[in-house]
Amino acid sequence: MSVDTARPAVPHPAGADNRVVVDGVTLSWRDLPELTLLAPAVLLAQHARDALAAARHHAVHGTELLLTTASRVDAALREELSAAGFTVTDAAGRGLAPARPRAPEAGRLWLLTSGTTGRPKRVGHTLESLTTVRGQQPGRTWLCPYAPGSYAWWQVVTLSLTQPGQHLVVVEPDQLDDWPALAAAHGVDAASGTPTFWRRALHRDPAALARVPLRQLTLGGEPVDQAILDRLRQVFPTTRISWIYASSEVGAAIVVHDGRAGFPAAWLDRAAPGRPTLGVRDGELIVTSPYHGAGLAGPVRTGDRAQVVGDRVLITGRLDSDEINVGGSKVSAGGVRDVLTAHPRVAWARVGARRAPLLGHLVVAEVVAAQDLDEAALVRWCADRLPEYAVPRRIRVLTEIPVKETLKSDV
Amino acid sequence: MTELSRAQIRDLMGQVLENQGKVLPDDDAADLREIGFRSLDFSELALRVEDETGEELNFDAAGLRRITSVGDVLDFLAELQRQ
Repeated sequence: MSVDTARPAVPHPAGADNRVVVDGVTLSWRDLPELTLLAPAVLLAQHARDALAAARHHAVHGTELLLTTASRVDAALREELSAAGFTVTDAAGRGLAPARPRAPEAGRLWLLTSGTTGRPKRVGHTLESLTTVRGQQPGRTWLCPYAPGSYAWWQVVTLSLTQPGQHLVVVEPDQLDDWPALAAAHGVDAASGTPTFWRRALHRDPAALARVPLRQLTLGGEPVDQAILDRLRQVFPTTRISWIYASSEVGAAIVVHDGRAGFPAAWLDRAAPGRPTLGVRDGELIVTSPYHGAGLAGPVRTGDRAQVVGDRVLITGRLDSDEINVGGSKVSAGGVRDVLTAHPRVAWARVGARRAPLLGHLVVAEVVAAQDLDEAALVRWCADRLPEYAVPRRIRVLTEIPVKETLKSDV
Repeated sequence: MTELSRAQIRDLMGQVLENQGKVLPDDDAADLREIGFRSLDFSELALRVEDETGEELNFDAAGLRRITSVGDVLDFLAELQRQ
């Protein structure tokens, strides 16, 4: 990668004059350095500034691009991408030439899936298919805490690139713990993050979080339970709180603003032009979306467990990891997690299976407590709300909410 | 490997029952059904032993036997640690 600070002669996107705060420095999309990318290009961005510059480069030039972070691409994947005709370039300028050069596909953007079922795979998009917010929006300053190149990152970035008045404040990984101070200092009034991201902020310093003047708060990327929605509502009584279901494969498919977990069951199997159609088959969420990745037209099995509970459809977790078999009785790990996080002293919980004699597996959990909490009290809380076989039998108390680059706990 | 004594396993068994709001009687001859110690509790106790010793118990190595009393549980787990 080489950097040229000269401004390109070609037209900039509509949001080019929006404010972008990166590394604590305020500039605009237009002010970002001009990169020279050899298409088709893979940029392993080390800094947010490089990633934003690459996004703008694509918006201006249509360069075929896969943008991600170095930690997501191991040596084998680099070779694979090189074999697929990409020039793989890291932030230090080290490049891997394409093993089989090919003509670039103008306008193509590639995303790596989150890799929950093994190696990350490429999903093809365009700036158009990643831009799901199209109507005129009220002016906002958005927080961008996501890892460069993820679907959620592109959602925020395309909004700012394509709509005047949508400013961006980028959180670097080393700023994640104290992002509320950064956000408050730069007037962030809209923020999107995973439930784990929000739970960490609530747990670390709720007073600092409350000082961020949010008018829009969005959750996504992980199952969203009622407890986290309610806790955020306590801190932000007048903020619009939304949760969104989106993925690289199906795009942004579900957006819910009513403050409740799940989405209305009335939305199932309802076809409307330009909108995704949602279904539940054998306990799995099925999405047919106009915002799907390339080659994924038609109904897509999401791999996410969905269940109809009353008038809502709840999405509780990944099918391949959500079900725990305890001596022949099936337990939803997500359902147990929701019971744990509904406890007023639990800030975060993760539920899994552990191999055990007689029954095959037992349900176990890790929790982070907001206040003093003993295991026996938590077991009794669960026993009052769950079948006996679903009650976690070992609960480990952690001191910090774990989070990965994806801002998720489990992926 | 740290091996737990019979008394230490008894303490852990008491904790399992206490979490269920039950009490472990002092008498080793106490019947498991009467005190409400069931397969879920037995499995949990095995995990607690594993957590304390840092070693996975090898149930495949254990011969089939009848376990009906508190003493049977303690003897079984004490022996299993040595296999």
